[in-house]
Amino acid sequence: MIRRILALVKKEFIHLRSDWWMPAFMLIGGALELLAIGWATSRPITNLPLMIWDQDHSPASRELVLALENTGTFLLEDQVQSLSPIEDALNRGDINAALIIPPDYSTQLTSLLGKPTLNVILNGAESIPAREAQRAIEGVVHDLGEQVVLQHLGLDPDQTAGFNFSLRVWFNEALSEAYYSTPAELGLMLEFTILLFAAITFSREKEFGTLEQMLVMPFSSLEIILGKAIPVILVGMADFALMLGVVHFAFHVPIRGSGLLLFVLALGYTIVELGKGMAISVFSKSQHQAFLLVLMIGMIDFMFLGYAVPVESMPRIMQLLANIIPAHHWLNILRSIMLKGSGLAALWPSILALVILGIIINTFSLLYVRRKLE
Amino acid sequence: MNDNQITGRAENLVKDFGDFRAVNQVSFTLHKGEIFGFLGPNGSGKTTTIRMMLGLLAPTQGRVEILGTEMDGQSSSILPRIGYMSQRFSLYNDLTVLQNLNYYGQVYGLDSIKRKLQVQEALAISGLSGSEHIQTKDLSGGWRQRLALSAAILHQPEVLFLDEPTAGVDPVSRRSFWDLLYTLVARGISVFITTHYMDEAEHCHRLAFIQRGKIIAQGSLKEIKQTMMPGQVLEIDTDQAGKVIRILRKAYQNGNIDYKDLELHGSLVHVITPQVQSLSRHIKKLLKADKITLNSMSVVDPTLEDVFIACMRDNVPEVHNE
Repeated sequence: MIRRILALVKKEFIHLRSDWWMPAFMLIGGALELLAIGWATSRPITNLPLMIWDQDHSPASRELVLALENTGTFLLEDQVQSLSPIEDALNRGDINAALIIPPDYSTQLTSLLGKPTLNVILNGAESIPAREAQRAIEGVVHDLGEQVVLQHLGLDPDQTAGFNFSLRVWFNEALSEAYYSTPAELGLMLEFTILLFAAITFSREKEFGTLEQMLVMPFSSLEIILGKAIPVILVGMADFALMLGVVHFAFHVPIRGSGLLLFVLALGYTIVELGKGMAISVFSKSQHQAFLLVLMIGMIDFMFLGYAVPVESMPRIMQLLANIIPAHHWLNILRSIMLKGSGLAALWPSILALVILGIIINTFSLLYVRRKLE
Repeated sequence: MNDNQITGRAENLVKDFGDFRAVNQVSFTLHKGEIFGFLGPNGSGKTTTIRMMLGLLAPTQGRVEILGTEMDGQSSSILPRIGYMSQRFSLYNDLTVLQNLNYYGQVYGLDSIKRKLQVQEALAISGLSGSEHIQTKDLSGGWRQRLALSAAILHQPEVLFLDEPTAGVDPVSRRSFWDLLYTLVARGISVFITTHYMDEAEHCHRLAFIQRGKIIAQGSLKEIKQTMMPGQVLEIDTDQAGKVIRILRKAYQNGNIDYKDLELHGSLVHVITPQVQSLSRHIKKLLKADKITLNSMSVVDPTLEDVFIACMRDNVPEVHNE
């Protein structure tokens, strides 16, 4: 039995070596993607285009504009004399924010009971720059020590509701986006690697007509499954180690928790996704079909990685749905161990969820694959 | 034929795909040291039958027995004694010749000494010695088939199933492929082979004709030729074969002459009839009337193709049912 499994494992690795696009995509592609994402997001957001309509034309208003420019967050796009160019620019998406300084700004500022008011218009369609712009303007106003009341126009309060500002400052002191984005990317790339590799194992044999031969060889179905699964697990773990290295050493994202626990749980997660990939593989008639199915499932899972939009700010039903997505729990584990240094005591609900999902997925997958092979 | 030891048996095999009956009451036996040919047009149920024989497909009705073991999907203990070469190339294109053979050897549990010997022998008989490190995809069609065959027999199976092994292979490669098969059979292997090449079928010890899922004739080549022909074959050699066929068809339609079958064989015309003498006289007269030069006309042995086409036309009952 061992000899047959080993023969199969060996053969799978020969495939990998000769079809080098696949391992190159899996290992180098993941690492490159991480480098790109990490590099693009490791700096604070700067140069957001800003438009100003200064109706006051006073030294005080000019001081405010200068202070905003000095933050580096903004790039002064234009000074305008009416609302319509601001509206146009916002509609076109040319600017992320506009500041309107009313004619009585300096008068109100200097009078004893005055209430200086600033109108800020944010482009809520791009929530991340909008939040950044809001934060910068608030900071400037605060620094000026003025009693300026901000009036937000155009930013729907719902759009910022899910943004847990304080949480980010706690665990991401450097306020580096890379802390947030690279672990998410790592989790996603690991999922894609395992799913893709697992999905081609059987669909490839089917496409080339070699599966039939395999079935008349003296393999038991369990031997075939193990022989196909072992290379996927080995490659998945190697990929994980490589990507973790990139995240840790290139972007200095800390690993505050136990590295051993992280690897054990990564292995567990690999096996969960492997079950999904194998089922896709047996279901698909060709590699092409398997690829497309992986892409579809990957895109759905991507939603729940909290990468684009935090799961907490999704509608209730989506939040419930997130619970049955293994990647969601995996990412929670990954982030918690890396950034918060969490251990088993804090992670057990996610681990339990992953174990339950893993048992369900793999039981189904094993039964399905075995039935198809017999 | 030697001691007639039965190595495989199909009994009343039926396979339905929905409403379509792909294989209908197929029965035959395989014997030690013989090549059993399964001859039929595309889509006649050859591959479906071979897949049921191997336990890859569960029959709707009937049973299959190989080497005394029932093939019911749970019969993995018998698999090491069976060899199979599927219609599609069954080796891995991105593995080298040697890697493919070693993989087969390992899966069939040959220990390393025996594996080396068997692989060397396989390379020698397939003529691929010295090409061990060539990637399989770089081999031409004929070489690939020979490699696939030598892989399928690496573990020295007792029964070998070949599903259209020479489809798309050039005649010279086909010839050497068959030489290889004869060598194997001489060692006592049973070979079950499907084909739609008539010349290949002539090399088989026993044959079954399958049409639309049914066996319409079965037996040795001689038996089939003797019993399946609804008459003798009259061969007409003329320079205007096309015209001759038109004249004879017309005469047949008018009721002037009677024959069972009329076929063009290259530039020759074959007429099949139980009454050779009277028909040849009629034909001579007809052709003379149309001023067609007749090079020669004689009774010849039926080719397998004559028999096959006659069988397909008439769908006559089976020769014998084992």
